[in-house]
Amino acid sequence: MSKQSEIETERMVEMFDNLRADKYPLKEFKCIGQKGPRRVDGLAKASGQADYTMDVQLPGMLHMRFLDSPYPHAKILKMDTSKAEKLPGVTYILRYDDPELPESENLGFFTVFQNDKPLDGIAHFEGQPMGAAVAADTEGIAEEALSLIEIEWEERPFNLDPIAASDPNAPLSFPERYMDGNHWNRGVLDEDIHGDVEKGFAEADRVIEFKITRAGHTWIAPERPCGVWKWNGDCAEIWLKNQRGYVAKRYIKTWFGGIPMDKIELHMPYQGATFGGWTHTDWNLGGLYCAAVVSRRTKRPVKYVFTRREDFYGSSMDEGIYFVKVGFKKDGKITAVDGTVYHVNAIHPAYSPLRHLHENTRIPHLKGQTKSIWVNKGPAVAIRCEMLMPVLVQTMVMNRVAAELGMDPIEVALKNDGGQGHDMDWLNEQKKERGFEVRDSLKECIEKGKAEFKWDKSWHEPGTRKLPNGRMHGVGFTWTHEWSDSAGTGEIAIRIERNDGTATVLGIRCDNGVDAENSYCQIVADELGMRLEDVHYNPRFDPGFHTNSPDSASSMSINGWAVRHAARILKQKILESATSPTAPTQRGSYQPAFRNTKPEDLDITDSVIFVKSDPSRQMSLADFVRRMGTQGPLANLEFQGVREAWTEPLFAYGYHVQLGDYNPNHPREKFCRQAHFMEVEVDTETGEIFITRIVNANDVGKVINRMSCEGQQYGGSVMGMSRGKLEEVIHDPATGIMLNGNLIDYKVATIKDVCPIGTILVETGMGYGPYGVVGIGEDIATLVPALLAPAVYNAIGVWIDEFPITPDRVLKALGKI
Amino acid sequence: MPLLRGRVRCRRGVERARFQDAQGARPTRPRGGIRLTINKSKYDLNVEPNWTLYYLIHDVLGLTGSKQFCDRGECGSCTMIVDGKPVLSCMMLAIECDGKTVETVEGIADEGHPLIEAYAKHHAMQCGYCTPGFVVTSKALLDRNPDPTGEEVVEALAGNICRCGTYPQHVIAVKEAAAKLQVEKAAGRGQK
Repeated sequence: MSKQSEIETERMVEMFDNLRADKYPLKEFKCIGQKGPRRVDGLAKASGQADYTMDVQLPGMLHMRFLDSPYPHAKILKMDTSKAEKLPGVTYILRYDDPELPESENLGFFTVFQNDKPLDGIAHFEGQPMGAAVAADTEGIAEEALSLIEIEWEERPFNLDPIAASDPNAPLSFPERYMDGNHWNRGVLDEDIHGDVEKGFAEADRVIEFKITRAGHTWIAPERPCGVWKWNGDCAEIWLKNQRGYVAKRYIKTWFGGIPMDKIELHMPYQGATFGGWTHTDWNLGGLYCAAVVSRRTKRPVKYVFTRREDFYGSSMDEGIYFVKVGFKKDGKITAVDGTVYHVNAIHPAYSPLRHLHENTRIPHLKGQTKSIWVNKGPAVAIRCEMLMPVLVQTMVMNRVAAELGMDPIEVALKNDGGQGHDMDWLNEQKKERGFEVRDSLKECIEKGKAEFKWDKSWHEPGTRKLPNGRMHGVGFTWTHEWSDSAGTGEIAIRIERNDGTATVLGIRCDNGVDAENSYCQIVADELGMRLEDVHYNPRFDPGFHTNSPDSASSMSINGWAVRHAARILKQKILESATSPTAPTQRGSYQPAFRNTKPEDLDITDSVIFVKSDPSRQMSLADFVRRMGTQGPLANLEFQGVREAWTEPLFAYGYHVQLGDYNPNHPREKFCRQAHFMEVEVDTETGEIFITRIVNANDVGKVINRMSCEGQQYGGSVMGMSRGKLEEVIHDPATGIMLNGNLIDYKVATIKDVCPIGTILVETGMGYGPYGVVGIGEDIATLVPALLAPAVYNAIGVWIDEFPITPDRVLKALGKI
Repeated sequence: MPLLRGRVRCRRGVERARFQDAQGARPTRPRGGIRLTINKSKYDLNVEPNWTLYYLIHDVLGLTGSKQFCDRGECGSCTMIVDGKPVLSCMMLAIECDGKTVETVEGIADEGHPLIEAYAKHHAMQCGYCTPGFVVTSKALLDRNPDPTGEEVVEALAGNICRCGTYPQHVIAVKEAAAKLQVEKAAGRGQK
């Protein structure tokens, strides 16, 4: 078998054997895991040179804005746009009843809640972009024109409360789609059952029940959702703010009777964060669709931008009311959990509230159900992650049991750690079978986290430690597994540049700020033997390759493989090129750069190719390719007597198919764990909570980009504390109107809320990605909100089951209001 | 199902008026001539009375470093330094800036201010959209207080929102930039 086909075989094995541990790790890591490489986007972002879709300005470009429904549930009966059309500066008004607008269109991922019509005539929540889109010379003119549109509405009854909406006599929230009631389940992922909960409760020494209420919170992506459409003849040129650009292209290609993929030029400028959020909603691509129609009719580029308020209409996948029943033994072993959640507007497939307890504990009897209830609010989508609900339940179950028994919650955690109802012996067998080193991830995370947090000195009986400043002191602990291990495909290519031998990584992806570009460059550098500064990745244009989405959260376990495959194949190609005759022409060919050697005799380090047995025989990659980089084979140099070499372009691609964690047909055990610690002070007079310390310990399997991982830890902690104690979208029950759709009335954490945050990275290598990696981006912001509850309980000795835990809820719990 | 019929205005009036002003609504009054200095360059401009400073600089002049995160003075991303003070450029009318000196993130980068390198080095950014606002606010702080304490940095940046949660790094980056400026000053190469 030739070396090349061996490499191909290895790649195929890696592609399809991805349920097992990495069998081909690097022996030595030079860039991977190191602290210090500067962000590739650092200078551009700090100096304001990084361009976002919001910054795109094209000659003749029109600005488009959308009508928002003033009612939570209403239908347009009649619309008069004549006054708006006469406003100077208004170029075009697209109406919901335009004959070209289809009744149904491919508008993205989860078009269950909304009609998948680009511009609907019926609103199912207040603020829904619908009815009309105005294109004008400026956003201000478009906005003014919207105010001149006269509409006759049919106002319909509406629901806001999920329990009330699940009553058979409740008005229908979405009669166009759901005639039979407001309860809808996909029936795939919404129920986890193993064992027999009744048996589990019978075996228990004690049984407790509690209810949790979680108000909706939203994404608040800094760059407002937007896009630009420009027709170049029959070719579409698009700038898009979207977390899944290449997937969006897949939908766009079906529009207008079909646009060939090769006629869609997609730009993905820097993205002002999405956190999932808006990307999942169908009016996102609906806006782009309208821009495309108006652009064609006006023959001008059209930029659509949604307002800051419009960006508030969406909720997280934990909004709802939870009913939980737990049975447990006196020693802290949990025997059964039964959980039901009335979840609001899950357009994303809703997960069971007990999904995590199923995946990471030995609890033998579990029964969980998510009832997805439609109400007239924006849709709930994955924001940072769709696992908010399961981690909230896990945190409350473990800590409630510990509190009932007067035990340290860490002890309860270790007594229940396991997987799919089995104990650690079973889980360790799975680790062995899958080729991993057997390590106790939770113990490692806890030991390191406890030491840094000084848990043993900090934890105390609830409501017993008053500080000199008069506040009550409390600490909380929670844990779960590292779950981010997506299923999907990624394609990445690498090209060695002519003339200087630098490497360019190719693949369109959404740069949401997690610095994954550096991570991929680090893998390329180590695998190819190049210096990190010689590798660059610009993901903002479409070279025909794309990374797996979501690009910012959990895809390293897929894209990491793809880039590694590409790098390994390319390295082989370089070494073959360096040892093969070059410039084959009619007159013959030239000697190899390294004569009388075979590829396996060579290696590359620090961007220099050398002979392993005689490192003095070396040539930098730059020198190697520079000799190939003339204006053409032998052109104008032969007569100078210079023997120039010429080889094929040094280019390779890698692709990877990952079965992954989210594929319900291929479940696999989760081995990596995470543990988090929080310290709070509670002012019992005002109810204010001060978070004074957080420690995150995450077993990421293997650290690729250390500063990026730490960034996800402290950044996630900040977002998490914000969600836990501040964030709540409030609707007026009388009118259904959102009351706090701005950054003054909807509170998010500022720098003044920040406390010291400890970031511990554990590396057990037990992830399914290359080098044993598992994603971290979704974890901390998802888990930390729940952590606030046990910390506050430890401070005041009373459970608060309503989130966010605001001062009024603290005072209510204390019986002061 | 009860039917309620009636005409309503599509948008809330106050928000609309403010938004129109902020986004360069149609001219209602004659343009006004202003002279101002932006990043050491002198400009002689005709501006609409309702243009904000942000709209003038970002949309009309094309200096796109300043960002608009909110649209009403809530986030700090559009911060510029006007006559030495950090202002929210979405809340200031361009026509008020006659005779004033404006400094944007582009100008701060052009002068090689150590904040830029410190921000990149310490990952005081993730998505980066709010970052220029932080840099400008920090520059204004260092101009008036060359050696701020951590608390003073926090106080100065309290009006800037970063949704990615990079706050801890800003204190590190600003203090490092301050230290570098101190060294440069001591070496007689201090920047203005």
